[in-house]
Amino acid sequence: MASVMRPGLLRQSFASPAASQRVFSTFTSSAARQSSPLIQQLRPAFARDAVPKATRIAAFHATQRQQILPPLPQKIEGSVNTAVPVPNPDYSHGSYHWSFERLLAAGLVPLTVAPFAAGTLNPLTDSILCALLVLHSHIGFESCIIDYFPEKRIPKLRVAAHWALRIATVGLGVALYSFETNDVGITELVARLWHA
Amino acid sequence: MASTRALCRLATSRTAAVRPAVFARGFASVSDTKARDPISKAGEALAPDASRAPIPESKTSTVKEAAPTKDAKMKTFHIYRWNPDEPTSKPKMQSYELDLNKTGPMMLDALIRIKNEIDPTLTFRRSCREGICGSCAMNIDGVNTLACLCRIPTEEKKESRIYPLPHMYIVKDLVPDMTIFYKQYRSVKPYLQRSTPAPDGREYRQTKEDRKKLDGLYECILCACCSTSCPSYWWNQEEYLGPAVLLQSYRWIADSRDEKRAERQDALNNSMSLYRCHTILNCSRTCPKGLNPALAIAEIKKSMAFT
Amino acid sequence: MASQRVFQLGLRRAAAPSFMIQPAGRMVQRRLANTISKESGEEILAKQRLHRPVSPHLSIYKPQITWYASGLNRVTAVILSGGLYIFGIAYLAAPTLGWHLESQSLVAAVAAWPLWAKATAKFTVAMPFFFHCVNGLRHLAWDVGVGFKNATVVRTGWTVVAATFALSAYYSFFH
Repeated sequence: MASVMRPGLLRQSFASPAASQRVFSTFTSSAARQSSPLIQQLRPAFARDAVPKATRIAAFHATQRQQILPPLPQKIEGSVNTAVPVPNPDYSHGSYHWSFERLLAAGLVPLTVAPFAAGTLNPLTDSILCALLVLHSHIGFESCIIDYFPEKRIPKLRVAAHWALRIATVGLGVALYSFETNDVGITELVARLWHA
Repeated sequence: MASTRALCRLATSRTAAVRPAVFARGFASVSDTKARDPISKAGEALAPDASRAPIPESKTSTVKEAAPTKDAKMKTFHIYRWNPDEPTSKPKMQSYELDLNKTGPMMLDALIRIKNEIDPTLTFRRSCREGICGSCAMNIDGVNTLACLCRIPTEEKKESRIYPLPHMYIVKDLVPDMTIFYKQYRSVKPYLQRSTPAPDGREYRQTKEDRKKLDGLYECILCACCSTSCPSYWWNQEEYLGPAVLLQSYRWIADSRDEKRAERQDALNNSMSLYRCHTILNCSRTCPKGLNPALAIAEIKKSMAFT
Repeated sequence: MASQRVFQLGLRRAAAPSFMIQPAGRMVQRRLANTISKESGEEILAKQRLHRPVSPHLSIYKPQITWYASGLNRVTAVILSGGLYIFGIAYLAAPTLGWHLESQSLVAAVAAWPLWAKATAKFTVAMPFFFHCVNGLRHLAWDVGVGFKNATVVRTGWTVVAATFALSAYYSFFH
């Protein structure tokens, strides 16, 4: 203990118990200190007040705003000396998925530059652009769902989100097909709106 | 016994504030049966919210250095504190003022000086003081780095802020719990795996070019600065391995002497272990040893892409 | 402290040659010491773990072009794709709801807007679009393993921001 080497330090901190408690404690406001049930239990029996039941709950809900999915209390699975489990290989969600995703993105580049260079696209190229765009958006949203909807905590919500996305993507595909055939197609639409 | 008398004398009301009831064995309490329960039992009945934000420095005290000289260069440090002996308390930011003229140049010198001379309860890990052990990794002025390699900015007006590594469970003050980090490191089998002996029965040889491929990979000190700077690791810590472990995984994938390349790649071939990396690039930016985990991860992805 | 006192008492006793060494120190210390089995030690640790806070992250990490650009890439992606999805679903639902979302009506509606509204709308749509496209090129470069040095990342990042502003301004106000 540092105080063994520097008895002056210990004496100084013990000189006023309030000061020492303030430095060594992580409680701050004195009001919270007096009314918190835990600190009541830590006081010697003869120095304790009756704990008002109302303050029991108030002392622990100190967060100002609600957090979406705050981290759970820590729990270590297994012992500290075992490795985390290695999942079975799943190429369709691993390397194949990644390669497909990058090929899509690379394919979108010339198709996106072309309308800027050529003014607008013929219906065939426009359809290919729409198809790649729908797939690219779908994969992007899927990535967001996997990142932000942890399976272990909200499995049902995650499955629901995935299905909602699939339905919406199919809907979008149908909509763009309909727009392409019955209307002018998206590059032409954007061009017309831009110069309206 | 004289020693027991000494103990009793210490147990006066003046020291009652810092001596919890559970240690007051000399004071029997008939009515209070909970007095002799361990502190953890009192705390465990109430499980607090793990993500409680720290109390900002505007609401906590500032501890000043004793006896400042006239031409002292006083700089304020705000340091994250949390005491596990008060488990349901909120973490808080404690401010300290130090004379830079009496302090060494690095942040670790400031922390050691605070612990020696101002507040001995400040807790942090440290060992080599030269940036090779990785113990003193923490978040200083918003950036993850090693405290022993981070110079204290000499402008007195700028107040430095020291936090533990981001999004880690905190054992005390600036000490994070590194358990899951080490478990993840263990899971990539960071050792040479071979099924065949060396061709001439002696060492496992490799060319100079093959050895050069390991430069920038073997120097990792596992300080966890990169992994804890990655937002993907913040949100998916249990399943995503993080840049540090992936860098080490690549160190073995790229080693020409290792024969289990395919198995190592298979271990990463799922939606979470490797592919939660979205090339955010905080890792390479923050590495205190100048390594490039993002590049290693890109090389792993490339090696797995069309195979 | 108490342990110092105990040590001094023990020394005094050891100094007197006729006395046997009294285990005074040990007795006091055994009263304070505890023997915990490995399992109960692990249980105590597991319970302590439940109370640990999580260190702050988003609120304290220094804003850098690395994670800000990446975050913005995702935000612009959601805005653009979200807009596309909403347009698609609305287009399918329009006949039932009595809306007119075919190109003719849309163009006619926009043509009626004042100039400042058209320019603002164009800029608001162009910014996320160009940012995502140009940053996407940066991403594709990383996927082939190019541009990972810290200086390169910072330079390309700010180039993307500048290019976004330039292209958006050109196509919104001068085209």
